[in-house]
Amino acid sequence: MGTATGIIKALNSGIKHLAVKRFTLRYPEQKLKMVGDGYQFDPSTGVGIAGYKGRHMLFHDHCTGCQLCSIACEGVAEAISMVKVQEEWKQNKKAIMPQIDYGKCVFCGLCVDACPFYSLYMTNDYELSSFTKEGLIYTPAQLQVKPNISQDVELKFDNPRGATHG
Amino acid sequence: MSSTPLPPGLQIEKVDERIMTLNVGPQHPGSGHMRIIVKIDGDYIVSADPDPGYVHRGEEKMAEYRNYVLNIPHLERPVIHDSCNVLYPYCLGVEELLGLEVPERAKYLRVIASELNRCVYIQYWLAIYGIFLGHSTMFMWPAGDRELYIDMLEKMTGARVTHSFFIPGGIRNDVPANFEDMLLKRVNYFEKRIKEYAAIFYDNPILISRTRDAGKLSREDAIRLGTTGSTLRASGVNFDLRVKEPYDAYGELDINVPTLKEGDAYARSKIPWLDMLESCNIIRQAVQKMPKSGSVRVKLKPNPKGGNDEVYKRVESGRGSLGCYVVSRNAPEPYRVKLSVGSFRNLICMPYLLKGEKLGNMPAVYWSLNYWPVEADR
Repeated sequence: MGTATGIIKALNSGIKHLAVKRFTLRYPEQKLKMVGDGYQFDPSTGVGIAGYKGRHMLFHDHCTGCQLCSIACEGVAEAISMVKVQEEWKQNKKAIMPQIDYGKCVFCGLCVDACPFYSLYMTNDYELSSFTKEGLIYTPAQLQVKPNISQDVELKFDNPRGATHG
Repeated sequence: MSSTPLPPGLQIEKVDERIMTLNVGPQHPGSGHMRIIVKIDGDYIVSADPDPGYVHRGEEKMAEYRNYVLNIPHLERPVIHDSCNVLYPYCLGVEELLGLEVPERAKYLRVIASELNRCVYIQYWLAIYGIFLGHSTMFMWPAGDRELYIDMLEKMTGARVTHSFFIPGGIRNDVPANFEDMLLKRVNYFEKRIKEYAAIFYDNPILISRTRDAGKLSREDAIRLGTTGSTLRASGVNFDLRVKEPYDAYGELDINVPTLKEGDAYARSKIPWLDMLESCNIIRQAVQKMPKSGSVRVKLKPNPKGGNDEVYKRVESGRGSLGCYVVSRNAPEPYRVKLSVGSFRNLICMPYLLKGEKLGNMPAVYWSLNYWPVEADR
């Protein structure tokens, strides 16, 4: 192939893309849809359930304060510390629950694997930025809140000119 | 020079008037997190001395204080874009130490995950290679198309880059419900897209004139210097651990290893691209042969203990052979974990390749080695 033909072909393959809709995801307006409600773990079978590893969700009525999540995190990120809570649950005599520092968390999900009482799951919430370091520390009360998220955009392949978002 | 006589005992050395020393890096983006001490005569490189070690993080020492499962998140950090492949030899080794039998479905899902990861890594590398050759379209296209597989891995494993997906005894979670449909759609579109790179990049006369015959590595030298991966295969050696020492489900799949004979920067940059096309074939085969249901993980005891044993396993990563040596001494923690990485092996041939090149061609030769500084330093 001659030099001129090669250059023309290269330019042509770029020019073809002028007519193609952009692949870009317009992030704050559009958010990609995840699978399921976040990463979960079933201790009876020992296998996880596929989902995004985002912010945790703590179920206070299941947590026994056994500290297994905190022990698992000691070898990874030291993000989980057990704190006193003012609630009274009959399964949680010590009244301690995990508090998670998202400045340290690496979102590996091994704390979820460690929990044998179905009380710690992960959610699709990944927008955790804060102006202060203290704002990244989530107390058990904050972890109890179900995140309010709207993620609905999916990749579409039906357009013959190229894949697009939404 | 002043004409005053020198004090007794002092001598002035003769200065070389032609040779100048340049430090490329460690902050310079063209070198990655490392320094290359280059001596130039005019525009030609007289000698190049790579100086790695700026991103040493002590992964191997850290592994001695954590148990076999908690080692997973930090051992995949050396190459976050290729995190499944970096973790693969460790998982294979620990499975042999603990005597675990991986379920059949998990073996195929591991193959799919590591092939997806290989493509993600190669696309990232190709984007960097393109931008350092001044081809900014080749930065945008791979960086955008990479998103297809990152999205797939996110749905499969729950994280975009550091997946923590493999575990001794299988994989962490089963895949979502309509996984095969989602995957095949992306693989077909991805293959169509990367075939378009040929016209704009690989058949482009400007790229060919820049990289053809730059940094030539002969077949004998490639074997003698111990290179691996795409660098070795670009010099005409057909060596791929997926075929030579099949691990997990690779033995049951039909793999055509791409090999080129030229051994120059152009061939080295083309091999990863051919690898990606081959990866698409492997994924399609794996999806077809995969058992449709079944267990994906062996249940582990808390704090599993290995016997008094040692094991060495290696896999083919995006950069070549990647080995992991694990020693166990009847404890929940490994006694020693050693990673033998492809990047560091490929670095050895760099001083040979850069000698006699023009300084402007340094990024073309250096990045064609498929070298990842963070992996080399561990």
